[in-house]
Amino acid sequence: MTRYLRLMRLFTGATLSAQLEYRANFLGAILASLGEVGVALLGIGVLFGQPGTETVGGWTFREALLVTGFFMLTEGVISVFIQPNMSKIAEAVRTGSMDFTLLKPLDAQFGVSTRHLNVLRVGDLLIGLGLIAYAASGLTVTGGGLAGAAVLYLSAVVIVYCIWLALSTTAFWFVKTQNASELFNGVFGAARFPVTAFPVPVRALLTFVVPVALITTVPAQALTGTLTPALALASPLVAGAAFVLTRLFWLRAVASYTSASS
Amino acid sequence: MTALWRKVRVLFSTRFAEMVEYRAEVVIWMLSGTLSLVMMLVWMGQAASAPDGRINGYTPAEFASYFLGVWVTGQLLVVWVAWELDMEVRQGTLSPKLLRPLDPMWEHYAAHVAERVVRLPAMLGLVALFAWLAGASFSTDPLNYLAAFGLAMLGFSARFLWEYCLGLLAFWTESSSSFGEVVWLVYAALGGMFAPLAFYPQWVQNIAVWTPFPYMLGLPAQLLAGKASLADAGRGALVLGAWLIVFWFVRLAVWRLGLRKYGAVGA
Repeated sequence: MTRYLRLMRLFTGATLSAQLEYRANFLGAILASLGEVGVALLGIGVLFGQPGTETVGGWTFREALLVTGFFMLTEGVISVFIQPNMSKIAEAVRTGSMDFTLLKPLDAQFGVSTRHLNVLRVGDLLIGLGLIAYAASGLTVTGGGLAGAAVLYLSAVVIVYCIWLALSTTAFWFVKTQNASELFNGVFGAARFPVTAFPVPVRALLTFVVPVALITTVPAQALTGTLTPALALASPLVAGAAFVLTRLFWLRAVASYTSASS
Repeated sequence: MTALWRKVRVLFSTRFAEMVEYRAEVVIWMLSGTLSLVMMLVWMGQAASAPDGRINGYTPAEFASYFLGVWVTGQLLVVWVAWELDMEVRQGTLSPKLLRPLDPMWEHYAAHVAERVVRLPAMLGLVALFAWLAGASFSTDPLNYLAAFGLAMLGFSARFLWEYCLGLLAFWTESSSSFGEVVWLVYAALGGMFAPLAFYPQWVQNIAVWTPFPYMLGLPAQLLAGKASLADAGRGALVLGAWLIVFWFVRLAVWRLGLRKYGAVGA
C-alpha cells in the first residue's frame, strides 16, 4: 500500500513537471473552464428566470445550483484525473506501448489509471467546490448531511471511473474508443439538472440504465437532507459492483492482449 | 466555367468518399451533441408540472417541436474546421496544400457539405423517432421547410467562416480550440439552444437581434415548428447575409496575416 502511495507521488511529480513546460496553455484551459461553467449556469439561469418559476423538478434555485456544482466538480474530476489517463489506453494498445506498462512490477490497472494528470483543469474542481459552497451557504446543512454527501460523492466518482475504464478497455478489441467517451459525455450532459426535472420515463432511464442520477443528484440530496434510504444504499452498492465488474473486464482484456506486432 | 465545375465535382466526390468511410462516427457525433435534447426534456417537465400546463405559452409538445427543430438545424450547422486547421498548422501539413492553385478553404468546405449528405438519412430517422416519442409536431407548409433550409445553409456558411478564423488563430497560439469553446457558448445561448429567444431578458434579446446567431438556429427551428412567418425568414436572411460578407473579409484578412507569420515545422 505505501508503495502504491509512493508511486502515485512520483507519477504526480513527473506529470506536473511535464505540464509546467507548457504554461501558455493555462490561458486556454481557463477559457475552457469558463465555457463549461457558463453552459451549466445559463441552463439553470434561464429555467429559473421565467416569471412564476420557483422550483425546477421540486428543487429551489439554491438546491439546483448544488447539482450544478456537483456537475462541475465531476467534470473537473474527469478532466483532471480520469480522461488524461483513459485516453492514453487506446493509444498504448494501438502502438504496443502497453507492453511497458504490463511488464512493470505493479498492478497494470493502477498504472494506467494514475500515471497522468491534467493540472490545467484544476479550475473546474475549484469552480465546482465554490458553487457547492455558495449554494450550501444559503441552505441548512447538517454535519450528517455533509458526511453523507462526501461518502456518496466518493462512490459517484468510483462509478464515473468505472464507466470510463470499461469504455476505454474496449480498446483492446476495437482500437478506437474516443467515440465511446463522446457518447458518455452526451448522456452525462443530463447530470447538469436534478433528475426529477426530467419527464418520468427519462428519469427512470437516468437512474437505472445510466446511473447519471447517482453522480450529481444523489450527493446533492444528501446535503439537503431529502435523500431516501434506498438511494443512499444503492449508490455505494452500484459503485462496488461496478468496480468488481470493470476489474474483471480489465483482467480479461489484458489476458487477450497480444501486443502490436503479433 | 467547365474548369470550375470540374474542380467542384472532384472536390465534392473525393470528400464524399472520405466521409462515407466515417459513417459510423458521423452517427456517434450526432448523438454526442445532446444539449438541446436535454433542455427539451427539462422544459417539457417544467411545462407539464406548471399549473396551466404551459410556460410562457409553450405546452410540452410545443417545447418538443421547438427543441427538435433546434437539434435538426444544429446538425446542419456542425463545423469542425477549426480543429483540423489547428492540427494542420501545428504539424505543418498545411505546407503542401499551399502549393496548390486553390485556397485550402474550399477543400474543407466541400468536406463539410459532403458530410451533411452522409448525415442526412440517420438524422431524419432519429428526428422522426424523437418526434414520435416526445409528441412534437411540425409545420405542414413546404415553404417553411425551404426557408429553414436556406437559413441553415447561410448560417452554416457564416459559422464555417468564423470557425475558420478561430482555427487560423493556431498561427499565433497553441490554445485556439479554447477560444472556440467560448464562441460556441455565445452561439448556443443567443442561438436559442437553452430556450427560445423570447425567454431571455429584454436587454439580451435587444443585443441578440443584431448578431447572426438567432437567425441561424432559433429562427429555422421556429419555422419548422410553424411559429415564425416567411417575413421573419426574409429579415433573418438579410442579417445573416450581411454577417456572411463581414466574416468573408475577416477570414481573408486573418488568412493573409497568418500566412505571413507561418513558418512550417523545422523552418
